[in-house]
Amino acid sequence: MTRVLMVEDDAGLRASLRMVLEDEGYQVVEAADAERGLEVVVEPAGVDLMLVDLMLHGMDGFSFIRRARPQTEAPIVVVSARDGVEDIVAALEAGADDYVTKPFVVDEVKARLKALLRRPSMAGTQPREADVFVLDAQDGPLVFDRGAAALTRGGDEVHLTNTEFRLLSVLVDHAGRVLSRSSLLEHVWERGFFGDERIVDVHVRRLRKKVEADPSSPATLVTVRGLGYRLDVR
Amino acid sequence: MTLAFALGAFTLSAVLALGTYFSARHFLVEQRERTATRQAFTDSALVRDNLQTSGAEVDEVLGSLSPPAGAVIYVRRHGEWYSSGLDTSGPELTAEVQPVVADGSVGVGWTDTTDPSAVVVGIPLPAAEAEYYEVSVAEELDQTLRTLGLALAVCAGITTLVGAGVGRVASRRVLTPLEAVTTAAVRVSAGDLTTRLEPTDDPDLAALVGSFNHMVDALNQRIEQDARFAADVSHELRTPVTTLTTSLSLLQHTPDLSPRAEEAVRLMTDELTRFRRALEDLLTLGKLDAGHGEGDRVVIGAGELVDQALRATDHPPDLIRGEPVGGPEPMLRVDRVQVLRALTNLFRNADLHGGGLTGVVVVDGGDVVDVRVEDSGPGVPVADRTRVFERFARAGGQRAGTGSGLGLSIVEQIVRNHGGEVWCTDRPAGGAVFVVRLPSAKASGS
Repeated sequence: MTRVLMVEDDAGLRASLRMVLEDEGYQVVEAADAERGLEVVVEPAGVDLMLVDLMLHGMDGFSFIRRARPQTEAPIVVVSARDGVEDIVAALEAGADDYVTKPFVVDEVKARLKALLRRPSMAGTQPREADVFVLDAQDGPLVFDRGAAALTRGGDEVHLTNTEFRLLSVLVDHAGRVLSRSSLLEHVWERGFFGDERIVDVHVRRLRKKVEADPSSPATLVTVRGLGYRLDVR
Repeated sequence: MTLAFALGAFTLSAVLALGTYFSARHFLVEQRERTATRQAFTDSALVRDNLQTSGAEVDEVLGSLSPPAGAVIYVRRHGEWYSSGLDTSGPELTAEVQPVVADGSVGVGWTDTTDPSAVVVGIPLPAAEAEYYEVSVAEELDQTLRTLGLALAVCAGITTLVGAGVGRVASRRVLTPLEAVTTAAVRVSAGDLTTRLEPTDDPDLAALVGSFNHMVDALNQRIEQDARFAADVSHELRTPVTTLTTSLSLLQHTPDLSPRAEEAVRLMTDELTRFRRALEDLLTLGKLDAGHGEGDRVVIGAGELVDQALRATDHPPDLIRGEPVGGPEPMLRVDRVQVLRALTNLFRNADLHGGGLTGVVVVDGGDVVDVRVEDSGPGVPVADRTRVFERFARAGGQRAGTGSGLGLSIVEQIVRNHGGEVWCTDRPAGGAVFVVRLPSAKASGS
């Protein structure tokens, strides 16, 4: 059963969210503050997903994310204030994977969580003949096996989060062509028009760290100034 | 103000000059007359004595006299005129004084038959049965008066100029700081609360500058406090509203509710949705008011933005038209999410109150780009066209929809933050048109 850690200090919100998540079939572990949350993260049972309110009293959400991120690969969704765009970006850069803003629509949260937990192989794309792509023949080789949901460099597996997998998948589908940030938002996050495009930037940066031989001068995942991003096969 | 000073100086100096001139003239003229009279008395006495002795002829008597320079003596005796000079203008020159002398008194007058004027003194000599007239030209007096007049005129002129100069300086000293205050006041009322006046050494102005700056400080503080209050309240309401919506969603998914309970849940859901939207809008508006740029500005085509907005609000993309037809797509440099929100608010407004969105026209105006949002509804009455952009304003008779009443004021704030304008007008075919005008990418320094 999927274990969801909820770090939320407001008792009322915690209680109502717990019920909603349990209805969805998740096992919910509550933490009223960041310290307790960190304790749960390192428990042997681990966590599969984390929902963290940025507006916590005491140790704030950012510190929690920074400390929890190295300990687990589980996706982190932050809950933030509506006017806290800078907070969102900071949280993403600290290691969060996605965000929802208060006041939120419950269905949106459910969809967000589902998307993050969705196994790549159930991404809904039809199986294709060429589902194995050699992205970089020079350094590696860097091979993306979509069917097996695996990225390997020179035989060693590179772990991708679900979001990173979907992002790479979309870029590969449009290899050699520029994708704008808003279209990436649409395809990967299914967020559509009102999402903040910086979430794309943060994930591209993360993907580069895993995919590029030298992340500071990307050769595979290139930025096209003013237009978007492009995947070049070498 | 310069003019007033000049005029004042002129008037004053003119009055003084004229006063001085005329009193000097009066004095000098009187003096001249006295001198002439004295001289005439002396001379006439001599003539009388000479005439009385030995029955001499007037001609001889006059011939033996040496009249003072510039003077001519005329004597009338027994109806005959005699002159010490060679002229015969005696009767003419002395005409004014003759009647007085005929009466037996001494007469003093002026004649301007000569140039310059001359003093005429007439003395009756009853003992010699004659009338003595002395006409002396007031050469020196004339010159003196002329010089005096000129000097006074020049002085008056200089005084006027100096007055104008002083007026200029004074006006600059007084008006410049006043202009500065006016400019500053205009800027403050336009919304720039960072405006302050420069401190000044002038004690008269220091008080004005001080109180003006103090006033703007207080105003600024007040506004910030109000903004913080609204933001704080909204902030506090966020979590409770979220808890409510979350709990309510549980109820919505609960099976086996009684019809009454279901109805209650439905009502709560509707109201809570409105409440949540109003809160979101208030928070958005608060953030926009504070002027914090939400995101980076990107260069994007106006048509592309409109297309996104249409799709976001489930409208067919063929509602968009471009003017001029077939021209290149006008580019904007904007915060994409913000302008998208503005457009979707306008489209929703057209749907809610305008009987449905009928078209969106993107007009390339060179330095500006217009987006005209058209509907075919009842239109907005002229009197309401500015009011609709106010917070919580509602055009009469609207459906109690899920609108928060803030949609259009958010549009206005977003457009204003981008240096643009938005207004409402109508179409000849009927229906309302909301026009958003934004500076084009090249105009906003792309």
